[in-house]
Amino acid sequence: MIVGDLSRRELGKRLAGDGLALQLGPFNLTIRSNLDSFASLAHQLYEPYPLPDAEAISDFHVQISAPRGLRRWVRRQACFGVDGQFPFAPYTVEHAFPALEWGINWCVATRAHHLLLLHSAGVERNGRAILFPASPGHGKSTLCTALVHSGWRLLSDEFGVVRPEDGLLLPLPRLIPLKNESIEVIRKFRPEAIIGPSFLETRKGTVAHVQPPVNSIRRAQEPARPRWFVFPRWVADAPLTLEPIPKSQAFLMVATNAFNYEVLDEIAFRLVTEMVRSCDSYSLIYSDLDEAVSALDELSRTDDV
Amino acid sequence: MTCYTARAETFILSPAGNSIQWQEWGDVHIVYQPSSAETHVFNETTALILKCLKQGSRSIQAVKDWTENALEVGQGDLATDDFVFATMRLEELGLIECLDDASAVQ
Amino acid sequence: MFRAACETRRAQRLLLEALQEPEKLPGLPPADWELLLRVARRVRVLGRLESDLERAGLLEEIPERAAAHLRAARNVISHRNTLISWEVNRLLWALKGIDVPLILLKGTAYLLAELSPARGRIFADVDLLVPERRIGEIEERLVERGWFKTQIDPYDDRYYRVWMHEIPPLRHRERGTEIDIHHRLLPKTSHLKSDPESLFTAARPLADPQLHMLAPADMVLHALVHLFLEGDPDEGLRLRDLIDVHDLLCRFGEEPGFWSDLGPRARALGFERPLFYGLHHVQRLFGTPIPPDVLRGLEDAAPVWPIRQLMNRLIPLALLPGHPDYPSRWASVARWLIYVRAHWLRMPPGLLAKHLSHKAWLRFRGFRRRVDLAQLDLKQQ
Repeated sequence: MIVGDLSRRELGKRLAGDGLALQLGPFNLTIRSNLDSFASLAHQLYEPYPLPDAEAISDFHVQISAPRGLRRWVRRQACFGVDGQFPFAPYTVEHAFPALEWGINWCVATRAHHLLLLHSAGVERNGRAILFPASPGHGKSTLCTALVHSGWRLLSDEFGVVRPEDGLLLPLPRLIPLKNESIEVIRKFRPEAIIGPSFLETRKGTVAHVQPPVNSIRRAQEPARPRWFVFPRWVADAPLTLEPIPKSQAFLMVATNAFNYEVLDEIAFRLVTEMVRSCDSYSLIYSDLDEAVSALDELSRTDDV
Repeated sequence: MTCYTARAETFILSPAGNSIQWQEWGDVHIVYQPSSAETHVFNETTALILKCLKQGSRSIQAVKDWTENALEVGQGDLATDDFVFATMRLEELGLIECLDDASAVQ
Repeated sequence: MFRAACETRRAQRLLLEALQEPEKLPGLPPADWELLLRVARRVRVLGRLESDLERAGLLEEIPERAAAHLRAARNVISHRNTLISWEVNRLLWALKGIDVPLILLKGTAYLLAELSPARGRIFADVDLLVPERRIGEIEERLVERGWFKTQIDPYDDRYYRVWMHEIPPLRHRERGTEIDIHHRLLPKTSHLKSDPESLFTAARPLADPQLHMLAPADMVLHALVHLFLEGDPDEGLRLRDLIDVHDLLCRFGEEPGFWSDLGPRARALGFERPLFYGLHHVQRLFGTPIPPDVLRGLEDAAPVWPIRQLMNRLIPLALLPGHPDYPSRWASVARWLIYVRAHWLRMPPGLLAKHLSHKAWLRFRGFRRRVDLAQLDLKQQ
């Protein structure tokens, strides 16, 4: 069963009551909200996401709600909470949806230490995955969105989730947040992409969320073997370059960019070592999305011999 | 040439130094230290100092000679400052120790 | 309202039963597991549950999803323990040649002496007790060897140095672990007097000759003092600290002379009241075996009956977590009251008013600048 099987009314009822249960890759979430505006957006943007079984254990209990009492009417605010605690600065009610999305990131990054969490986008095709370790502002999300709308499966936009037992990547195919100019870039690149409303003047500028293709969401329980590390950088008017980089550099960039490399001690060291040893690493500089996508398609075909 | 603790003659690999895990990537040495959960990046010189001491305790001069030999540079060519810095650093990280009775008393 | 009370009781019962009888956990239905994980996380006993199940060989018998949460907790604890042990290693290296007795306190002692409270427990900092007259020298040597004094505002710095029982924390420039150097167990300003000299004479050495831990009775008393006097307005009393007391009593209770020493030692140090409360509540919640004559012997340390009844209500309210979806107003009040009381015991009234209002002002300011989710760096240290 998926979110889309619920009526808008039923969804609102669950959100306002005991919570809407949602499955996001390895994690089961329970979301609560007393905000109508949030319920409408959730119904629209979470539509293809599966609901876990009724008896399944929920991993995170989150909520995005207007506080009770006077403040609810005087200054319209939304607070993100986990397990009844509200440790963060409130948001305006208009930014409730992105606030919840960021909040879910926080839950994963601070709790999921049974897994190695790289800060990395990931896409997969033909059983092999490319990981794009993050550097803020270098266009990883835009590139990732372009790829998943060009035949690649989305593993994740933000978290490269590595299972310690076998080094496989676990998909976490969430909505992809695009910022500022990237929103228009993707609209032009793929007019058929499903993009949510733009939230203006958030702490990260203008943000909109892209719904990944249904296929990525349906296959969320299929892990993938990492095969390439690509460190992307968008540079205006730059000609495309895709160059191998030394493995030592790749190791350091992956390790320093992980969310919980230190926490996992020896396990992290071993996993990153194995990944870097078995993957080829490249630096990618591009200014044109089509060129970048072609180059990566080409790269993935080098294995098909 | 001084250790942190005293004017000493001999170095030895500490228990922490003995249990590190190496990964060599060309001439970049990435090392995991289980006792501190730290990951270090060492250059060739530092890595050689550790490798030398893995064979047993050595006087400072012997370590320097061995390292110069391994780097294929002439005797006395290795900058003293670099060498001292590397050994001080390794001592601070707890990977090598001064083996010297003098070090017990301030 | 009724549902809230029911659910809260259910949550607390689940937690206490899990702690008292972990062997029954494989039989727990998924819905109960879900609630248990949430409350256990709140009071930071996930690691303890993992450790209990691991020792009983039952980790494979519980739902995989629950096991994942426990494994995550274990990884975090294991990492932190490595950092603490290593920090002590580096501390000893840095202090080489300085002949000063170092008594490890709280978690640092439990970890390095391999005592049972260390099981499944997270410790944030290194805690040491050193003679007051040697502090300057130690601080100076550590600063020479790469540690620095953490930046705190002048009010807090003075608060530490003049009134408190510890100096502001030190931190190594490359590592994140804080070292808290104490020179007594309680602030100088406290109503309860404490005399550090006798702690040093009674201390027991550890494997490394320079390191010591408190004598068993002192360790138990310190754990109780830490439990009751170092609260938190939001969290109230830390259940984890009471579990430490339970573990210590079980461990040392077997040693000859321990129980007969405990009461007199508490009297000598002025800690009878925390001991009175501690023994009663640890027995109430965890069934800790305590000889009846020890409890009887403490009756004259009991507060007057009305206060005793009040505390019997407040303490569990402040200790046990509520149900995360049904917050209790009373519990919040209880936690705040206990927090104020903890501070009252630490400082005279005039100072208390000033301190609380300064802290309240800081929190008010801080409230404006609460952590911003969007800008948060999610990378773990």
